Amino acid sequence: MSNPIPSRKEVIEDIKNRGELVAAVLPIHYSRALLRCFSIYPVEVWGPPKVDVSLGGAHLQPYVCSIVHNALSFLKMGGLNAADFILIPHTCDSLQGLTSVLIDLIKPEQAIIPLYLPRGQREEDIIFLADEFRSLYTRLSELTGKKPSSKDLLAAIKREETSDLLLAKLYKTRQQMGLSNLDFYRLVRSREYLPAEHFSTLAEETLQTSTQPRPGIPIILSGIVPEPMEVLNKIDEMNGQVVADDLACCGRRLYKPGISPEPFRRMAERIISAPPDPTRGNPIEERVKYLVEMAQNSGAQGIIFYEVKFCEPELFDLPNLRNSLKEHGLASIIIEVDINNPLPHQVATRISAFLEMLDS
Amino acid sequence: MKIAALGIDVGSTTVKMVGIDAAGEIVWHHLEPVDPRVEKQVDSFLNKLKQEINSLNNIPLIATGYGRNLVHQAVKNITEITCHAKGVYHQLGHGGTLIDIGGQDSKVIVIGTKGQVVDFAMNDKCAAGTGRFLENSAARMQVPIEEMGTVALSATEEVAISSTCTVFAESEIISMIAHGVEIEPILMGLHRSLIRRVVAMVRSVGLVPPLLLSGGVVKNPAIRKVIEEETKEQVFLPEHPQLMGAYGAALFALKLMAS
Ligand code: SF4
Repeated sequence: MSNPIPSRKEVIEDIKNRGELVAAVLPIHYSRALLRCFSIYPVEVWGPPKVDVSLGGAHLQPYVCSIVHNALSFLKMGGLNAADFILIPHTCDSLQGLTSVLIDLIKPEQAIIPLYLPRGQREEDIIFLADEFRSLYTRLSELTGKKPSSKDLLAAIKREETSDLLLAKLYKTRQQMGLSNLDFYRLVRSREYLPAEHFSTLAEETLQTSTQPRPGIPIILSGIVPEPMEVLNKIDEMNGQVVADDLACCGRRLYKPGISPEPFRRMAERIISAPPDPTRGNPIEERVKYLVEMAQNSGAQGIIFYEVKFCEPELFDLPNLRNSLKEHGLASIIIEVDINNPLPHQVATRISAFLEMLDS
Repeated sequence: MKIAALGIDVGSTTVKMVGIDAAGEIVWHHLEPVDPRVEKQVDSFLNKLKQEINSLNNIPLIATGYGRNLVHQAVKNITEITCHAKGVYHQLGHGGTLIDIGGQDSKVIVIGTKGQVVDFAMNDKCAAGTGRFLENSAARMQVPIEEMGTVALSATEEVAISSTCTVFAESEIISMIAHGVEIEPILMGLHRSLIRRVVAMVRSVGLVPPLLLSGGVVKNPAIRKVIEEETKEQVFLPEHPQLMGAYGAALFALKLMAS
């Protein structure tokens, strides 16, 4: 990559220096375009890893995942002070619980904005989500005093669509790009906080640089988020090559362009069109079909389910999902991590043994 | 004695080194409790072997086990999963489901008909379900570890141990002893508690018979008996159950040399 990718901190500083607004957004699905047309820049909070969790621990049960524990601890230590709003999609019970803890007990200075998501991909779900976006529009209007027009909304949507098409192109050509696993995910994960136009420039530049494809045992990475990112280096060292992913922060958000000329419906269409995701209630059969096709198209020989400990929506499906994948000849392994801990030696051994198994 | 390749398994409690001839037969082995200065310990193993065979030139060494990355004398390292499967398959001549209970972890490996790893599960997060669980409990009850199995099998009844955590199991044992419960039924209960955790791992990968067993704990007769009771399967042992990781590593070293 020719230009270095700015860090989350640098991006936030830049936005604040320009006097604009920042929304801290928790996982997973929301509309970036809706925030952007109010000149609010979304910066996503996937944890972050390695914070003092004792601060959040006082309000949460021990069996709540480390993403939520860390997010709350990070907020309490002042890590979200730069944010003007906190948007929390109701992805799972843990995030729903976090919303209540914040609104009822902690009452931070920033407005807490919940976003309800439907659990399906039917027409009713599109209608429901479009209505949710309309309510969110009203709330943001009250908070900012702005009233962006339909034209503004559509322009913001199209900017995000362009960025997502480039993201999809990066995914499509990843095997020819010759990036290490870590470099590839640094790049695609910058979509979590870079403004769409900035990400698009970065993606275009990367797509123009041609390097040698990297060899390695081809695998799919599934789960919520590849943290600690050190795991990607380990996979590199062990001669593994992530050729496709089913990660909530990345591949499960390859949103297609919408169809409708009505902006709220178009935003909803985009989210609903995303790949199957257990947090959106997709049945296991759909995930099996999707993962089997992903393996066939990418040449992946196996799947690493790299899971955040206590992530209920992910872990609930895994036994049946893995059995079905096995029937389709696709080997898999579950690795459970606490994003706060350094990568344990045992995790490296399991991944290494899995790659040896695929290689034999 | 003509050694063609060497394998070393640096586990959490013992280090095992195996020398094999060109036909892949074990012709030399050595086992010691693990020393935290692994590299130095491996040197002493190699010196010991050198005294017996004069030269170690051109004999490749592959390392496996928990401390495999610390063996700088090795040409390569391979995980204990792959090495155990290789060693056991080569020694028994068939696949199946292998249970290996080590000092600090336990693993279940499904070995395919050609000796390949088909699936595996590891318990490496918690001492319950590993040899350490029995070691700790044996120390608490002042029963020598090597007699634990025999003492357990002499029990005429059995008590259930509810704690699956090593630390809590210790408190439970103390409380039972304080209430006058005999050592033998407690020991039998402890074996059952350990094996039930291991059998849960077997179920998670799916038992493909026959059931095979390796690792240091196979010297304990109660382990084998309880596994058979819990799985309703006969258990088969390789000739050198404790050496299977090192043996597998040596077989890989032999293959490496041939290529
Ligand atoms: S890791 Fe799982 S449980 Fe935690 S916030 Fe994400 S979806 Fe919810």
